[in-house]
Amino acid sequence: MVCPEWNQVNKNDYRGIWVYVEHFNGKISEGSLQLIGKAKELASKLGVDVAAIMLGKDLDKLLMEPIYYGADKVIYANDDRLSIYLPHIYAASVVELANKYKPEIILFAATKRGRELAPYVANTLRSGITADCTALDVDPKTRDLDQVRPTYGGNILAHIRTPTRRPQLASVRPNVFPTPPRDESKKGELVEEKLSKLPEPRGRYLGSKSITEEDESGLPPVEKSDIVVVAGKGVNGVEGVKLLTDLAKLLNGTIGGTKKVTDAGWLPTSRQIGQTGRTIRPALYIGMGVSGAIQHVFGMNESKIIVAVNSDPNAPIFNYVDYGIVGDYKQVAEALLELLRERKKQ
Amino acid sequence: MDELTIVVPVKAAVPNITAVRLDPNTHNLVREGVPLMINPYDRNAVELALRIKDRFGGKVITISMAPPNGKDFLESTIGMGVDEGILITDRVFAGADTLATSHAIAKSIAKLYPNFSLIIMGEETTDSTTAHMPAQVASWLEIPFVYYATDAEPNIKDGTVKITRYLEDEGLLEEFIYNMPIIMSVYRNSNPPRDISLNRKIMAKVNGLVKVLTNKELGLNPDCVGLKGSPTIVAKIEDAKPLPRKKQIFQGDPKEGAKWLLENLVKEGVIR
Repeated sequence: MVCPEWNQVNKNDYRGIWVYVEHFNGKISEGSLQLIGKAKELASKLGVDVAAIMLGKDLDKLLMEPIYYGADKVIYANDDRLSIYLPHIYAASVVELANKYKPEIILFAATKRGRELAPYVANTLRSGITADCTALDVDPKTRDLDQVRPTYGGNILAHIRTPTRRPQLASVRPNVFPTPPRDESKKGELVEEKLSKLPEPRGRYLGSKSITEEDESGLPPVEKSDIVVVAGKGVNGVEGVKLLTDLAKLLNGTIGGTKKVTDAGWLPTSRQIGQTGRTIRPALYIGMGVSGAIQHVFGMNESKIIVAVNSDPNAPIFNYVDYGIVGDYKQVAEALLELLRERKKQ
Repeated sequence: MDELTIVVPVKAAVPNITAVRLDPNTHNLVREGVPLMINPYDRNAVELALRIKDRFGGKVITISMAPPNGKDFLESTIGMGVDEGILITDRVFAGADTLATSHAIAKSIAKLYPNFSLIIMGEETTDSTTAHMPAQVASWLEIPFVYYATDAEPNIKDGTVKITRYLEDEGLLEEFIYNMPIIMSVYRNSNPPRDISLNRKIMAKVNGLVKVLTNKELGLNPDCVGLKGSPTIVAKIEDAKPLPRKKQIFQGDPKEGAKWLLENLVKEGVIR
């Protein structure tokens, strides 16, 4: 018997792929745009359209953006009750729209807000959800979404499916997939929806305050740079981080750190790279004193060229490198600084 | 509202997740016979609950769905200052995905503590890292929820709670006021947990402050829990393989190494 609290689902009623497009302060989250690119690829295998879902108030200026990035249409609700983001109200809105349109797949960017929203949507639809997928594919026969995620510490990849329920929901961290090109000549349909069944707010938003963590480097965020120098536990303190920050500056790159380094307070948490931090895909990753814990590797695996310096020849990081140097990171960093300064003079 | 009732669902995490056994049929983690500890981030949730209790009074309960050996880590939460623990343990709950787990947790809380004021949970678990549970429990109970709380200040008179939360990726501190009951998860870098008092933990053991309940007492629908109540299946598992890389390794003089590296990076076109 099926749990009586699950509604009846006829899988054939469900068609199309949705991307929940998150926006805040008039800006669409990059992670949502990246999912539109992936959704298009999956949609072509299933022969369906991609719809972007947008909620809020005064959305007009943003509505065409998902289409410029490849969505076929935008389904949106402009509603006073959505002027402020309350998690359960936004989640209930997505549920109401999903019950009406019956998409077979809904994708969420696993931002902090996305990770909050998606499981409520999935659960209220009595369907499955997979968090932080690192790869997505579809089986054209069963139309099942193959949701791949690292699990149990990351040594194992699990392929998760939701064979009997629809829609199938998944979240993906920002920067796991590349951002598709923006093309203002693209056309698409805008569909306005009125929401009827929103729950009571039961709460009020009181306000917000930006907290800028102390960040002495003055360098760009780790997701925004083509070259990222990463400090690991082996750098042994703020002095080491400072040396690597100088190196990052000379390379026109930026500085990041492993969890150990940000936990120790040698760098702000916004510079943490890995499973519980940021995901990066720069042209060049340089790990210094980084041991290569799998949780860190998940945040940098997609880098084009990976370089590591570590004094331990058996450090796991060397399994992931294009170029590795077995040696003292400090000596190598100092030598690199010298060489780069000479190059600049020439 | 006379008194706060704060329920903190906690998870028995497997300490060393790199050396675990998987069930060959369901591909689920085998938890039986594995030493269990409390999920580290759940201790921050217990801490916030205890800080609220310290300031505003009330009762704090930890609840966990775990194998029978999960009793010990619930006793440890009592060692931190929690009043009582509930261990839900039954074969019928085994093999649950996050939806089925949240069903068991939500329905048990509704049955045992129908007048709860707050449910407080850890940001995520370190062994599964989904962060699904708080929102899913909220969905079953049809109440609001907020993630990443750093502080909560209830007002027992008017039944509201002021919640501060931190969105790490936006660097934004947000404030809400909600009517209770509500569910919140606790930002993992806030509310560092207090020590466990060994005396209190022993007292918990001696006085049997952790109740062990099976589905005989809870009476949940077996079709809604465990493997049967789980919409997701693990279709396949495979070892995570590193992407193909050049794996050129230099050993020797650091200065020579730096030169070798720079030459290669220029050749690759990543340094100009």
